[in-house]
Amino acid sequence: MGSEMEPLLLAWSYFRRRKFQLCADLCTQMLEKSPYDQEPAPDLPVSQAAWILKARALTEMVYIDEIDIDQEGIAEMILDENAIAQVPRPGTSLKLPGTNQTGGPSQAIRPITQTGRPVTGFLRPSTQSGRPGTMEQAIRTPRTTYTARPIMSSSGRFIRLGTASMLTSPDGPFINLSRLNLTKYSQKPKLAKALFEYIFHHENDVKTALDLAALSTEHSQYKDWWWKVQIGKCYYRLGMYRDAEKQFKSALKQQEMVDTFLYLAKVYMLLDQPVTALNLFKQGLDKFPGEVTLLCGIARIYEEMNNSSSAAEYYKEVLKQDNTHVEAIACIGSNHFYSDQPEIALRFYRRLLQMGVYNCQLLNNLGLCCFYAQQYDMTLTSFERALSLAENEEEAADVWYNLGHIAVGIGDVNLAHQCFRLALVNNNHHAEAYNNLAVLEMRKGHVEQARALLQTASSLAPHMYEPHFNFATISDKIGDLQRSYVAAQKAEAAFPDHVDTQQLIKQLKQHFAML
Amino acid sequence: MADVKMFREVLPKQGQLSVEDITTMVLCKPKLLPLKSLTLEKLEKMQQAAQDIIRQQKTAEEEKREKAH
Repeated sequence: MGSEMEPLLLAWSYFRRRKFQLCADLCTQMLEKSPYDQEPAPDLPVSQAAWILKARALTEMVYIDEIDIDQEGIAEMILDENAIAQVPRPGTSLKLPGTNQTGGPSQAIRPITQTGRPVTGFLRPSTQSGRPGTMEQAIRTPRTTYTARPIMSSSGRFIRLGTASMLTSPDGPFINLSRLNLTKYSQKPKLAKALFEYIFHHENDVKTALDLAALSTEHSQYKDWWWKVQIGKCYYRLGMYRDAEKQFKSALKQQEMVDTFLYLAKVYMLLDQPVTALNLFKQGLDKFPGEVTLLCGIARIYEEMNNSSSAAEYYKEVLKQDNTHVEAIACIGSNHFYSDQPEIALRFYRRLLQMGVYNCQLLNNLGLCCFYAQQYDMTLTSFERALSLAENEEEAADVWYNLGHIAVGIGDVNLAHQCFRLALVNNNHHAEAYNNLAVLEMRKGHVEQARALLQTASSLAPHMYEPHFNFATISDKIGDLQRSYVAAQKAEAAFPDHVDTQQLIKQLKQHFAML
Repeated sequence: MADVKMFREVLPKQGQLSVEDITTMVLCKPKLLPLKSLTLEKLEKMQQAAQDIIRQQKTAEEEKREKAH
């Protein structure tokens, strides 16, 4: 049946049904039949159409929303010279997130990532990096909270993806970039746009893409905003943020688009100017009232600046416009959980389940909410499903870790012990599990084991105050005052408002004064 | 009812009630796992697929080499 159809139409149909591999294969067949070499012949519109279609299908296969990508690698973070102020005023920078705690739950209740931000309810590519302060910290990042995993360099991932896309085609790449006559293509705007997207997304060759975009924008006499946005995207990928800013601003003057606002805000975020980005989003909201992506952008900035009450406000605004917005639901849910309202958090997570989100993370969260909201019938089944849905060992480790808490909650110390052990079996770098295991060991009176576990935990996650504080407490009890003092100071650095730490330090100082 | 009389009430009716504050060790808190965005999932899937392809090609090359020897 399929063979009777006009092949180009069939290919189009595949493309529209998002069967890109089939579409690309069909286009390849068509291109093999027609006399065609590197570029489409102008007198053969069918082969030209097939050529564009194949380029677009290949692009769609690897297409990722560029707005969502701003992964910074270690290299970018450490060698960052883009921030304007090296010592910014509080509340104007993303680097000092702890400065304005406004109403959010304290560190004693809500776990934090190594950058000092509370763990978020939703994971985007950009939340993964989270600027660490020093090189050492960046390399020794604990792998437990996914929000803190560094990548060596953001360009590295794109290069890997690019080489892989070439490996998949045994006859070499579809378009040989080095043999392209870019000037010729830039004369044909429709073709050039498809070709640009192919080069940018599929081949990940930003420099060639930039050349093409520059030629094309010249050809359109600088009147096409689309090309300006593309040039801005290329500059952004190349790390030339000021140039990118100029292009986006110029594009915005010509034609106001939501996308352009988002790209420009991304540039400001990398320049460490969150307040400018906020103002920009608000400008955008004047033009596009109630636009979900803009509202969500504001909420994300507030969240990164540790202003969780404002963030929650904007996430609620998002939900008023789009009541199936997964990110907003997840973030509000986790906010409620950590502000001691697990019942309400449970409703949000149940809503996600109803919407068809079905994965390890969600079921784990449901299990925790159920337990703390005293709905014990659902707790263990949720965790069982979460375990069966875990895709890798790190996810399983986190589920076992949370199950350990349930066991502690019902007073089954043996089960808790086993759960934390299993968490460590699955993920050897799970600092929280080490700490909790140490507390359990201490209850059994195994001081030496507890101390060893705590030392491991504190070296794995120096940003957490719990292992430091516990180590200080143990050392204090066995009379090792010097070590206790050192550890207590580390705990204070990690969590300055912790009352018990302050008391311990005061006590120790009195001891030392007496000597 | 006889059992009830065996227990004496311990709440003091006058005077102050005080509890000594003992520092206890702290457990790390339960951790809600963040959900992943679609972009992130796609990115991870693509990377996984890419790594699989590279691994396949490497093993294929090694097999070829072994046969040639």
